[in-house]
Amino acid sequence: MEVDRESSNDFLSNLSQELFMIRETGVREEGERLIELQIGPAHPGSGHMRILAWVDGDIVVRCDPDIGFVHRTIEKLSENRAYIKTIPLVERPSLLDTTPMTIGYVNAVEKLMGIEAPPRAKYLRTILAEITRIASHFYGIGILAIFLGHSTGFMWAFGDREVMIELATMLTGARITYAYVIPGGVRRDMPQNFPDQVEKGLRYIERRLKDWEKLFLNNPVVERRLRDIGVLKPVMARRLGITGPNLRASGVDYDVRMAEPYEAYDEIDFMIPVAEEGDAYARGLVRFKEIEQSISIIRQAIKKIPDGDIISPQISRLFNPLMKKIYAETRRVKFPSLLATLKPPKGEAMARVEAGRGEALFHIISDGSTNPYRFRFVTPSFRNVILFKYLIPGHRLADIPAIYGSIDYFPPEADR
Amino acid sequence: MVYIGPLEIPGRLIYDFLHIFILPGFGAILVLVILIIWAERKIAGLVQLRYGPLHVSRRIGGALQLIADLIRYSLQEFIVPENVDKIAYLMAPALALLFAVIPIAFMPTAPGIAPPIYVEPNLLLILAVISLAPIFVIVTGVASDNKFAFIGSLREAFLMISYEIPFIISILSTAFIYGTLDLYKIVEAQSKAFLGVLLNPFAALVAYIAILRITGRFPFEISEAESELVMGPYTEYSGLMYGVAMGIGYIKLYVYSLLFSIVFLGGWLPISSTGNIVFDYILGNIILLTKASILMLIAVFLRSVYPRYRIDQAVRLGWSLILILSGAAVAWSLIIHLII
Repeated sequence: MEVDRESSNDFLSNLSQELFMIRETGVREEGERLIELQIGPAHPGSGHMRILAWVDGDIVVRCDPDIGFVHRTIEKLSENRAYIKTIPLVERPSLLDTTPMTIGYVNAVEKLMGIEAPPRAKYLRTILAEITRIASHFYGIGILAIFLGHSTGFMWAFGDREVMIELATMLTGARITYAYVIPGGVRRDMPQNFPDQVEKGLRYIERRLKDWEKLFLNNPVVERRLRDIGVLKPVMARRLGITGPNLRASGVDYDVRMAEPYEAYDEIDFMIPVAEEGDAYARGLVRFKEIEQSISIIRQAIKKIPDGDIISPQISRLFNPLMKKIYAETRRVKFPSLLATLKPPKGEAMARVEAGRGEALFHIISDGSTNPYRFRFVTPSFRNVILFKYLIPGHRLADIPAIYGSIDYFPPEADR
Repeated sequence: MVYIGPLEIPGRLIYDFLHIFILPGFGAILVLVILIIWAERKIAGLVQLRYGPLHVSRRIGGALQLIADLIRYSLQEFIVPENVDKIAYLMAPALALLFAVIPIAFMPTAPGIAPPIYVEPNLLLILAVISLAPIFVIVTGVASDNKFAFIGSLREAFLMISYEIPFIISILSTAFIYGTLDLYKIVEAQSKAFLGVLLNPFAALVAYIAILRITGRFPFEISEAESELVMGPYTEYSGLMYGVAMGIGYIKLYVYSLLFSIVFLGGWLPISSTGNIVFDYILGNIILLTKASILMLIAVFLRSVYPRYRIDQAVRLGWSLILILSGAAVAWSLIIHLII
């Protein structure tokens, strides 16, 4: 362990500062040697952020991610809203990966209130979370592909993601912002034909994964662009607090679904794909493997899902007769008015989930009023953005989009 | 050989006019470029599980989409940024376009009919003119006063040098086999033996890969890499000039494909001069353009298959494998020359 820490310290100082200092002294002697490139915020390869890159010839000697362009004050807004109104708010930052975020927030609220969702609701949450994980990974792969100039990968990814979105629409009634998870359960039960449709969709995705392998993963140009690019060593990954597929691509076997199971994950048999190389290719590969695992999780969950209520009795006893009638007939939950002025007891609660891009943390401090006193929301992209600073220096200008795409960084999610 | 010589003024002028303005000149360029871009989008759509252009002229599958685009480009405000070198900024794309199309005037495209400007070693002349075009792309980038445009033009310069040299070597190596630098005689030589692509497959391979690079097709679309350099040398262009800049790549592809078809695919073969000039002119051109179109279709199809190489990978490929292959092409040509 001691050796690890030392080598990582060396790595940190060598990679960025020293390289930059050497080059910068060159600047003073030889005149303008570095070009400062401001990639973004209005640049086709930047997303909603600015990447400041200092380029010596074609080599990037220093790179600073400049974030905050799409900061939406999610944390502050939530302090002035009823607990239940923050559910749609937490899905806004990561629009492609909404359900894990709502699960995390709702789990924290449930911990505060001391209620628990019934098993069927937990399974439904798990199914939807995995559906959005597949959609989120396809989105990330699509962006990686278009950053490399591979338009087919981009279109395929968005087309295949559509299948998952259709499934989620069947379940929740919305395409992206589901707000499906509510304290004590979920909003709707799954339709009668949902398991068949899910099976159809999953078979399609499995078929497509073979095409993906042929055209994208085994594409010689893709391999040359991604292999040995942006290598993140396990030591560095731990040190920088990297999370999600980026961490697992560096050989660190950590996943919140395994480490601290929530919802139905402890009853489901799945594995965490890990790659040893830590390069951009491994990060892409891990995402593909995770899609395979998600498919298996959804299948098991559909098979194992128990019958019963989808809302906790502590909530359903607040229903008025009409709500009870609607719930009995259509299995849809209407919010009792008491829930809008929900006042959890004083205290703190924390919940963690494994979102598509990594671990998301939710910390609520309640002062006993209708609004949270403080809500802290740490998203995986916020933790991964530091990789721009450490992975890119030493690579070529053309590797910036390759590394950016491979870490699947999503600016709105980081800015919140 | 039934050349219509320069002295036969009446017929000569008509064919010169037709050559430059209809087939294989501007008329064919306009139609083919529009069709190729449409085909590129349609093929990409087919591969990518979507429709491609559809709504403009729905009945013919959106084939007029590019005309609509051109109208949009020409009506869009054309902004000249303050800091650009205005003369160079405005002239460079026009000159690049000009030097991309001039070689057509030297190309014989039908049996029995000389090109408008006929000089004996017209292959050399074409290579000389065609290799001038990149200079204006570089001027474009430097004149734009934009870092991305500047980097894009530097990339263009690096890549041009590393791929034009193998291209020129491989094209010229065929001269050992054909014994001439005159395109008309090259086609005649192919009619007596095999097609050039069979006589020297190395040269054909190198030339085709180099064409992909020179015309900026995938996987060598590096100088205009969107996710890195916005639009490469053309970043600061808008409106009609942007449309022109975008068209240059396709026009170059057309001209290079014509050259490739003549040198390696036998030009207007299998027909030969029948004595009926009108018949020869039309059929010869159509055969040649068909061959060129197939080459262009393959080139644009690669967009759906490959991402782009990194600049250093592409340059290394050019100076190592491609250059070695072009050396092999020369050696192969010499061997064939000795055997024949």
